[in-house]
Amino acid sequence: METYEDKYNNRALVIGGGIGGIKAALDLAEGGKNVVLIDKAPSIGGLMTQLDRTFPTNNCDLCTLSPHLAESGRELHIDLLTLTELVDADSEGGKFKVTLKTSPRFIDLSRCTACGDCFKNFPECVRFTPGLDHRAPTCMRYPQSTPYAYSIDMAKCKDVDALGKVCPANAIIPDDKEKLLELEFGSIILAPGAELVDPRPLEVYGYGVLPNIVTGLEYERILSASGPTLGELIRPSDKKQPKKIAWIQCVGSRSVKEGCVSYCSSACCMYALKEAIVTKERFQNDIETAIFYMDMRTSGKDYELYLQRAKEEYGIRLVRSRPESVEREPGTDNLSITYTITENTLPVRENFDMVILSNGFRISDDLIGLAEKLGVELNEHRFAKTGAFEPVATSKHGIYVCGLFEAPKDIPETMVQASAAACMAMEDLQSEGASKKPEEEFPPERDVSKEEPRIGVFVCDCGYNIAGLINTSEMVDYAGKLPQVAVSEGVGYGCSRESLEHIQQVIQEEKLNRVVIGGCSPRTHETLFQDTIRKAGLNKYLVEIANIRDQDTWVHLDRASEASDKAKDLIRMAVTSVALSHPLKEHVLPMNKDILVVGGGVAGMTAALKLADGGFKVYLVEKSGELGGIARTIRKTLEGEDVQHFMKDLIERTTNHKNIQVLTKSMIVDHTGMPGLFTTGLQVGPRMFYRQIKHGVTILATGALANRPREYLLDEHEAVMTQLDLDGFLEDHKDKVKAWKKVVMIQCVGSRCPENPNCSRICCQSAIKNALRLLDINPEIQIYVLYRDMRTYGFQEDFYREARKRGVLFFRYEPDDSPKVSGRNERVEVIFKDPILNREITVTTDCLALSTGLVADEEDTEDLAMIFHLPRTSDGFFLEDHVKLRPVDLPVPGFFIAGTAHSPKTIRESIAQGQAAAGRAQTLLARDTINLGATVARVDSEKCAACLICVRACPFDVPFINADGYSEIDPAKCHGCGICAAECPAKAIQLMQYEDDQIMAKLDGLFERIA
Amino acid sequence: MDTFEPVIVAFCCHYCAYTAADMAGTMRYSYPPNVYIIRVPCSGKVDALHIMKAFQKGADGVYVAGCLEGDCHFKTGNIKAAHMVAYLKGLLDEIGIGAERLEMFTMSAGMGERFARIATDFTERIRKLGPNPAKAGSDKTDKVAVG
Repeated sequence: METYEDKYNNRALVIGGGIGGIKAALDLAEGGKNVVLIDKAPSIGGLMTQLDRTFPTNNCDLCTLSPHLAESGRELHIDLLTLTELVDADSEGGKFKVTLKTSPRFIDLSRCTACGDCFKNFPECVRFTPGLDHRAPTCMRYPQSTPYAYSIDMAKCKDVDALGKVCPANAIIPDDKEKLLELEFGSIILAPGAELVDPRPLEVYGYGVLPNIVTGLEYERILSASGPTLGELIRPSDKKQPKKIAWIQCVGSRSVKEGCVSYCSSACCMYALKEAIVTKERFQNDIETAIFYMDMRTSGKDYELYLQRAKEEYGIRLVRSRPESVEREPGTDNLSITYTITENTLPVRENFDMVILSNGFRISDDLIGLAEKLGVELNEHRFAKTGAFEPVATSKHGIYVCGLFEAPKDIPETMVQASAAACMAMEDLQSEGASKKPEEEFPPERDVSKEEPRIGVFVCDCGYNIAGLINTSEMVDYAGKLPQVAVSEGVGYGCSRESLEHIQQVIQEEKLNRVVIGGCSPRTHETLFQDTIRKAGLNKYLVEIANIRDQDTWVHLDRASEASDKAKDLIRMAVTSVALSHPLKEHVLPMNKDILVVGGGVAGMTAALKLADGGFKVYLVEKSGELGGIARTIRKTLEGEDVQHFMKDLIERTTNHKNIQVLTKSMIVDHTGMPGLFTTGLQVGPRMFYRQIKHGVTILATGALANRPREYLLDEHEAVMTQLDLDGFLEDHKDKVKAWKKVVMIQCVGSRCPENPNCSRICCQSAIKNALRLLDINPEIQIYVLYRDMRTYGFQEDFYREARKRGVLFFRYEPDDSPKVSGRNERVEVIFKDPILNREITVTTDCLALSTGLVADEEDTEDLAMIFHLPRTSDGFFLEDHVKLRPVDLPVPGFFIAGTAHSPKTIRESIAQGQAAAGRAQTLLARDTINLGATVARVDSEKCAACLICVRACPFDVPFINADGYSEIDPAKCHGCGICAAECPAKAIQLMQYEDDQIMAKLDGLFERIA
Repeated sequence: MDTFEPVIVAFCCHYCAYTAADMAGTMRYSYPPNVYIIRVPCSGKVDALHIMKAFQKGADGVYVAGCLEGDCHFKTGNIKAAHMVAYLKGLLDEIGIGAERLEMFTMSAGMGERFARIATDFTERIRKLGPNPAKAGSDKTDKVAVG
C-alpha cells in the first residue's frame, strides 16, 4: 500500500471528474489547496464530454470544456486518479481517512502518446463506452481526453505479448495491478453525477426494441462530429437521414410508475429544444421536428427566449401531450406515435422517422453504497440530503455535494454549486494550514538580448506517428543547415521526461538561446516545452513548435514525400520566426486582499460572511437603510422552513462580524483600477459623505425587484395581491384566511410577456407553496391556479403533485386568452376558459393572488453597469462571463456575481451562488500577486496618431487616449486578441508573441523554398 | 500544367480553426499538403497586410479561418476578420490577383472534418485558377513549355 502522507499533509478529496468535480477541484487548487480528484472512468469529463453542443449558446461542447480538462491535468495542486473508486472511509475529528482503489489501466500514462497503434491492431481490447457505439474514431472516450492516453481491457486481450509489441512507446504494462491507496483528507466533495433513467422498462416507448428510437444522449452522439457517425445525421435502422423527428419529454421523469422517478429532471426541456434547434439549423426545411411535452420548463436565465426562438425562428412544433405509445409502422422502420391533445378527445396517430426520448436523471445504485461508506444521508429520491439554507452541505460535517447528486440540474447550476462546495471545503482546510506541493524552482533567466540567435532544433519521431511516414533524420539534417541553427537533433518522444531533460542539458551546454520543436500541437504541448526551456535558464517565450504531426503526418498519410517536404517547410517557418522572438515579461501585480460586496441581501451577506470567516476584510455596501433585501419580507420556503428566523441570524452575524464593515444607505459613484488594485468611490449615509474603498475583488449581489405590474386590479382592489403579499398575509391574518372559500392564482403576471419576455423562475413554486399553506390553515378552501406551464423543476415537483392530490385545481390559459378580472364588492370575479371542457368558468374569489415574480432594477443596474463597465442582458440582469461554465464570474476580471442580480432564483439558489462567489473570490485572493501573462498589445507612442481606431476596435474597451495624447493599453486588462494590432493603420500596436515581423518571418520562411 | 501545386496560407485562430485542424489530425482526415497553417490568437488579429504580403511573396491562395459566428473567444474578432476579407477581395479583383484567391471560413473547434473539407475544396479551387499572377515572372509556364 502506497501513501504520500510525507509529501502533503492536508487536502480535499473530490469524488467524480465530471464538469462539477473538475470545477470544484480547480477552484480549490487555485485557492492554494491540494486536491485529489478521482473518477472511476479512464478519463475525466463525465456526461458533458458526450454532448454535442450545449444550450443556450449552442456552442461546441468539447471546445469549451477541454481547456478546463487540460487545466485540471496540469494544475500543480491536483492529483488526478482515474479508474479510481473510494472503497472505505473513516472519519474522526474533522479528518477523513479514505482508502482508494485504482484499477489497472495496463498503460503507463507517462509514456502513452495516444498514437492509437494499440487500438488499430487490437480494437477489441481497448476500452470504450458501450451503447449505440459511442466510440470516437480514435477510440479514446472522446478526442482531447484527459489524461490523453488509452486504456486496455486486459480481460479481452488474447495475446498480451503481441499487444505489447505494437506499442511504439513501450507504454503497455501487461502486469499492471490494482492499487490501494490510503489517504487523509480535511474535506470531501461529492460530485459523482447521476445516470440516465433507462427507458427499456417503459415498454410503451419501444426503446431497445425499435432501432430508430434513441435517447437524448444517443442523439447527441449521432450529432457529434466525434461521434459514431462522425456527425452525420442518420438513423440507426437504414443509415438514412430522417425527415421527421419527434422528441418525447419526461420519459421516466415526473411519473410514479414503476421504473420512473417522480421528480422533474430539470434539464431535459432545454436539451430537447437544443437538439431540435441544432437539427433545424443544419437541415432547415429538409427536416420536421416536433416536441411532445407536458410543461415546457425553460425557467433558467434567458431560457424563455430560447424557447421563443425555437418556436418562431426555427419552426419547431411543440405538442402539449404525453404520448400513449410509440409503435412500428407496419412494413417500415418508421414509427407512429399515438397521443391525445386537449382540443381533441380522440387519440391522434402520427408518423415519424425517428423518435428521441428525453430521459431524465436518476441516482445509480453504487452511489447508495458510497453514501453509506461516508455516512451521508440521502433523501427519499436517493439524492444527497442537504440543509434548507445550506445547499451544498451534506448531513455529514466536512462533506459537501455539487451537481446532479444534490438534485437534478443543468450545467450552469452545477458550476455554481461546484464553486460553492469548493468554498465550503476551503474553510475546513484553512484551519489545518495546508502545505503546498513543492513548487518548481526555476534558475534565473539568462540575458540573451545581446546574443545572435543560436537556435536548437529538436525533431520528435513520436514513434510511427511522425517517423512512420517521413524520415526524421532527414529533417534533422535539413534543419541543421538552416541559418542560425546551432544544434539539430532527433529526440524520439520529445515530451518524455528523458527527452525533456536532454533538451534542457543541450540548451545549457550549447548556450542555445532559441528553441524549435518539430512535433505535435503547441495547443497541447507548448506549456511543457516552455517549462523545459525556462528550467534551462531561457525566457519561456523563446520556443516555437512546428506542428509536423497533427497538421502534417497525420493528415497526409498517403503522400509521404509531400509530407516530408511540408515538414521541412514547417520547421523552416518556425526557425525564421523564432529567430525574431524576444524575451517577454509576464505582468505581475501585488494583490489587495480586501473585498467589496455590493448589496446586502441573502447572497451578499452569505458571500461576505464566508470571506470574513476566511480572515478577509469585507466592505458590505447596501443601498437601503437595512440589510436583508427581498428575503426580509419572505416568511416561509416551499419546504416550510422559517425564512425570518434564518434572516435574523444572518443579519446578526453579518453586523457583528469583526471582519465585515457594513455601510448602509450607500451608493457606488465611481470606480477605477484592475483586479487586485480596485478603488471604488461611495456616497455614504444620509448626508452622502464621499469616501473611497480600496479592494482587490468585487462581488455584485444587488438583487432584483419584486415585480408589481398594474394588471388584474393589483393595488386597486383589496382582494388582489401578489404571491409575496399573500406569503405574509397567511402568517398575519390566519383568521381571515379561515373564512375564505375560494382563492384564484394567476401565473406569469408580468413575466413571459412582450414587456418582460423571460420567466421569473420562482413564481410556480411560490404559488404551490402558498396553495399548500392555505390548505393547511383552511382545508375547505377551493384553490384555482391559472397557469401557462407549471415549472416546478427538480424536487419542487413533489409539492406540485401534493397540491393536485389535495384538490388544488389547475387550468392552463393561453396568453392571448388570459383571464378577465373585475371587482365584485370585497370579492373579485375571475372569468377564464377551461381548455379541457372548452368553456368559460366564472369564479368569484375572496383572494386573487398574482404570481408576479422578479424583475431587474433597471435604473440601478444601468448605473452600476456604467460605473463598473459590466454588460447586462436585455432585461437588465448582469451578464456573466460564460453562461455555461463561468456563471459566477463577470466578464471584467476580479468581479463576481451572486443572487438575483444574476437572474431570478430561490433563496437556496442565492445562498449557493453567494458561497460560490466567495469561493471564486478566494481563488484570486490566494495569490499574493497576479500574473497577467505576456500576450498583450503594446503601443509604440512614437507611431501612434491617436486616431481612435483601436479604441473602437477593442471588444473589451481597453485602449484609451491618455493625457499625453496617444493610445494606452493597460496590460492588466488586455485579453490578447490582437484585433487592435491588426486594425491600427500606423502599425503602432504590436501583440507580443505574435508580432508582425514574426508572422512575416513565417511567410518568408515558407516562400524561401518556392521563390 | 498538371504539375501546378498551389501554395496556400491558412491563418487559423487558436481557439477554433487551429484546434479543428488538430482535430482533423486526431481523426486522420486527410487533405492536400498544399495548405500551410499560421496560428494567430484570433482571426481578428490577421492583418490585411499579412494577407497582401502573402500574395506578394507568392501565395496562390489565402484563407482566414475563425470561430463560428457568435462563438469568437474575443467576442467579435471573427466578424472583423470577415469584413476585412470582404474588403480585400475587392482590392484583389482590382489589382488583377482575383477575389477568389482569398476566403474567410468559420468552424468550431470540434469540426475536424469541416477543416479538412475546406482545405481540400479550397486547394482544388486554387488549382483550377492556376498560379498567382502576381508571382514574379512566369518561370513556371516556361518550365512547362520546355518540359
